[in-house]
Amino acid sequence: MTLTQQAPTSVPELTPNQRRRKARADAAFEPRLGGKILKWIFLLLAAIVTFFPFFAMVVIALKPGMAIDFPGSLMPTNLSGDAFKEVLSSGQLMTWTKNTLIYSVVSVVLVLILASMAGYAFAKKKFPGREAMFWSFLAMVMVPFHVTLIPTFIFMAKMGGIGTYWGLILPSIANAQAVFLMRQFIQGLPDELFEAAKIDGASEMRIFFRIVLPLCKPVLATLGVFVFLWHWNDFLWPMIVGRTSEMWTLTVGISSMHQQNVPLSTVLAGSVIALLPIMMAYLMAQRYFQEGVAGTGIKG
Amino acid sequence: MSETAVSVRSETAPTAKPKKPSSRKKLSRIDARVGLMFALPMFLLFIAFRFGPSIAGVLLSFFDYEITGTLEFKGIDNFKRLVSDERFWDAMRVTLTYAVLAVPLVLVTSLAMALSVRRRFRGVAFFRSVFFLPVVTSLVLAGTVFVWVFSSGGPVSVISEWMGGSGESWLNSRVLVIPALVLVGVWSRFGYGMLILLAALQEVPRELEEAAMMDGANSWRRFWAVVFPQLKPSLFFLAIIETTGSFQVFDLIYTMTQGGPARGSYTLVYMIYDQGFKYYDFGYASALGVALFVLTLIIAFVQRKVLGDKK
Repeated sequence: MTLTQQAPTSVPELTPNQRRRKARADAAFEPRLGGKILKWIFLLLAAIVTFFPFFAMVVIALKPGMAIDFPGSLMPTNLSGDAFKEVLSSGQLMTWTKNTLIYSVVSVVLVLILASMAGYAFAKKKFPGREAMFWSFLAMVMVPFHVTLIPTFIFMAKMGGIGTYWGLILPSIANAQAVFLMRQFIQGLPDELFEAAKIDGASEMRIFFRIVLPLCKPVLATLGVFVFLWHWNDFLWPMIVGRTSEMWTLTVGISSMHQQNVPLSTVLAGSVIALLPIMMAYLMAQRYFQEGVAGTGIKG
Repeated sequence: MSETAVSVRSETAPTAKPKKPSSRKKLSRIDARVGLMFALPMFLLFIAFRFGPSIAGVLLSFFDYEITGTLEFKGIDNFKRLVSDERFWDAMRVTLTYAVLAVPLVLVTSLAMALSVRRRFRGVAFFRSVFFLPVVTSLVLAGTVFVWVFSSGGPVSVISEWMGGSGESWLNSRVLVIPALVLVGVWSRFGYGMLILLAALQEVPRELEEAAMMDGANSWRRFWAVVFPQLKPSLFFLAIIETTGSFQVFDLIYTMTQGGPARGSYTLVYMIYDQGFKYYDFGYASALGVALFVLTLIIAFVQRKVLGDKK
C-alpha cells in the first residue's frame, strides 16, 4: 500500500510565461488583502514551528556546558564549537558515518539494479509463474516489517550475518515498493523499442543495459534518492544487527549516546552532523523528493 | 487493501509483427527464460527475507525458541499468555490511542497546509520545502532534540507554565506522553500528506471552481462542494498508510521514552522489540507479531468498509 492507484500525475513543467498566466489566474481565487495577510501569518507561524527543532538543535549544540532551559538556552550568544570537537574527537562518529555510507550506497546500487531487472521482467516478459510471483510481492507489502524481524534475525544469526555488512544490507534490499515503481514505469515504455533492438540482434543484456536503464533515468533518480534516505535514516535493523559499536550506523550510535549520560550539546552536535548529508541532498535534489511523492506516492 | 497499491494493469501481449509461428514460439520461449532470470535475484531475496520470515514468524508463535537453539512446541500457549497479559492490553490501548489521535491530526494538518500552499505566490516554494523537511529527517535524530523540547525547562512545559500549567515534563507524565509523541508524529508526517493532497488539488478542474464562484458560492462552500469530493481518493489513501504507519512507530518511542513512563507509551511494536530483544522470548514476541498483523488487517478492512463505500 505504498503506491497510489490514482497515481496523481506530477506537476507539469511550465514555461515562465505559462507560470505568470497561471499565477494571474490563481490570483482570481485569492482572498482579499486581509485574508492574504492572515494566510501569510499562518504560514509563517507554521514554518517557524516546523523549523524550530532544527534551530534549537544547532543552537544548543553550539552552547556546550550552558543551562539548557528555554528560552535562555536559545539566545545565540557565547557560541562555541567545543561540542562538535568533542563528538568528532573520539573517532567513533567517523566509523558510524562510514558504516552508514556503506549501508546506504551499496543498498541503493543493489536495489536499483535488482528492482529494475525484476520490474523489466514483470512489465515486458512473459514467463511461467509471473503472476504468482508478482502477487506474492504485492501481498508482502501488507506484512509489517516487525512481524518478520525475529525470524530474519534468527536466520541471520544462523548464517553468521550478525555484525557483518552483508547481514546488514541483504535483508534491507528486498524492497517491494522499488519493484512496483520500476514495473509501472517500464510498462509505460513502448514495446517497439525492445522489439526493434531484438530484431537487430541485440542480446537481452545489451537491451537491458543500453535501452531499458537509460530510459529509466528519471525514475531511477527518484527511487535512488528515496532508497538512500530510507537507509540513511534506518534504525531498528541496524541496531539489532550491529553487535558492537564498530558496526553501528549514525542513528544507532547517536541513539546510544543519547541513552547514556552524554551531555545534550554533544549528542545534538552528533545529530547535526548526521543530519547534514540528508539536508544537503534534500536541498540539491528537492525536485526528486517532492515530485517523487507527488508523482508516485512513494513512501516518504 | 490492494486497491491502494499500484494498479495491476492487465497485460497486453507484445505487439510484434506476426511472423512465422515457429519463430514466434521460439522467441517467446527465450523471453520466458530471460524474464525468469531477470526476476529471480529479487525474488530469491524476497523468499529469504520476506516470505520465509513471514511464515516462520507465524510458525514460531506456536513454539518456544531459546537462543541456544532448542525449539519446543507449545500449541497456543503463547496466545493464551498474550490474552491474559496485562502488558499486551496496555500495549493495544497505547497503540490504538496513538493512532486515533495521530491519524486525524495528520490528515487535517496535511489538508490545511496543502490548501494554504496550493496557489502560486511569492515564497510558495520556500514554504513547501520547509514543510517537507521533517519528512526526510530521521526520527531518531530529531528525537534527540524533541526530548529537550518536551522536558521540564524545555519550550513546551515552560510555555504551558506561563499559561498557568504545571510545567512538568510531558514525557514523565502518563497522560501527556502520548500527546507529546503524537505532536512529533504529526510534525514528521504532515509534509508527506501535504504533497499527496497538493498533487490531487492540481487535478481539480479550474472550470468547476470558476463556475461555482460565478454562482456566488463562497470559498467555504466551494471547498466542500467542488474541491473536497475530488480529494477523497487521496485522503483515503493517506488514511490507510498513516494508520498502518502509526501502528509501527518505533524510532520515536525508542529515542524519546523507551515505552515509559510506567509503560505509558509501550506500543505493540515496542513490546515486540522488548520481548524479543531484551528478554529473548522469541516465541512470545512472534505471537505479538501475529497480533500486530491481525490488527493491521482488521483496521484496513474496517477502513475500507467505512471510507471506501462513500466513493
